[in-house]
Amino acid sequence: MKSLFEVVVAVILAVVLETILGKISAPLLFLFNAFSWVVLYFSLTKHEVFGAVLGTVCGLLQDSFSLGIFGVAGLTKTLLGFTAGFVSRKINIIPVTRNFVFILIVSFIELALWKFLVFFLFGERLALGSGLVLLQPLTTAFVVSLAFQIARRKRGESL
Amino acid sequence: MPFSLKERRKFAVFAGLVFFHLILISLQVPKGDQPTYFERAFFTVFTPVQHGVVSFFQGLGRFWKSYFYLRHVQRQNQDMRDEIFLLRQENLAFRNMLLKFRSETEIQERLATISRSILVCSVIGFNSSDIYKSIVLNRGSLNGLKKDMVVLDKKGRLVGRVIDPVSLKEARVQLITDKESGVGVLSERQKVVGILSGYAEGKCLMKYVLRTNKGIEEGEEVSTSGFEGIYPAEVLVGKIISVTEDATLFKRIIVEPYFDFAELDEVAVFAVDLRE
Repeated sequence: MKSLFEVVVAVILAVVLETILGKISAPLLFLFNAFSWVVLYFSLTKHEVFGAVLGTVCGLLQDSFSLGIFGVAGLTKTLLGFTAGFVSRKINIIPVTRNFVFILIVSFIELALWKFLVFFLFGERLALGSGLVLLQPLTTAFVVSLAFQIARRKRGESL
Repeated sequence: MPFSLKERRKFAVFAGLVFFHLILISLQVPKGDQPTYFERAFFTVFTPVQHGVVSFFQGLGRFWKSYFYLRHVQRQNQDMRDEIFLLRQENLAFRNMLLKFRSETEIQERLATISRSILVCSVIGFNSSDIYKSIVLNRGSLNGLKKDMVVLDKKGRLVGRVIDPVSLKEARVQLITDKESGVGVLSERQKVVGILSGYAEGKCLMKYVLRTNKGIEEGEEVSTSGFEGIYPAEVLVGKIISVTEDATLFKRIIVEPYFDFAELDEVAVFAVDLRE
């Protein structure tokens, strides 16, 4: 029950953050993807099934705020949630650097897959926001890794 | 190593979710059909959250400005800015009508209707996947917004049109910078006709101008032609920034829209058919 409450709060915070970022400056939305933060954080802490379901919810939410094919972000975030949760159970991603690199790789794969679907399958031109979008995996890795380490410290877990 | 029953179940859930998405995407073929009920439901349920967040921060901002920071001057300034905003829209509508009507009384009557029909809306959200595609407004069908209503910026320049889904208090606007959009346009000098649609990074492409056409140059303004039956004629759209030729029959004309994303906090929606 507590987990569900945490997830609901996190998803609402993501919506709020996306809205605030858009109001501050629309191109910031290329740089930060709060929905990916939520999916990745909970995939790493609660593993693959939770990650996949949350990926579906967050992805469809992102799709609902976007114009285009409804379900593309849903599909990529489902894959992201499941993969991140599954792999994180198989390898040790607790050390800070390894955690950062792992999140960087999976968020880059998610971005690449999303752009691939949009560009090759649906024939839409890629919006790169003057290259800002390429920094998105980096900001995601930084934020999620930081949140992950803070949560571990709070729970008093050691490496 | 074979997977355990528990792991297989997890894969089954994952496969089910992927299948669900594939079905959802397939249901939208061909592209451009009406939004699904599912999409409408998501839009209706979650846009009020955006609306609430923006209203909260706008409220906080207004409170601070009104009570602590040059209270009176601020209010006066805001009133004047609102008035200028409305006057600009009126002026634009007036100029459009002059092209169509001869009788002054008729113009006055129409102008009165149009003045009442300008809705000033706040932008409460941008497209989170690609900011150049769409925006979400803080007004919806309860305020009289309908599909295909024309949206202009503070200076009366074309921004886009209202599209589905329109919920009770929120509406989505397709920007002219979206690749799927289409606006009939004319160049300023030789009145060369083309179709404007989104290109990349907030720029537009003016399509279907034959390469043999010599009457179009860089630096020219483009405005709406009204030929597509949605946008009224003579609304300023943008400026041509490049004209090149490639192997196709048509010129490659890049247009920079006049509306500015940084100033897109408020827009005007015409709740009246300007073509009439």
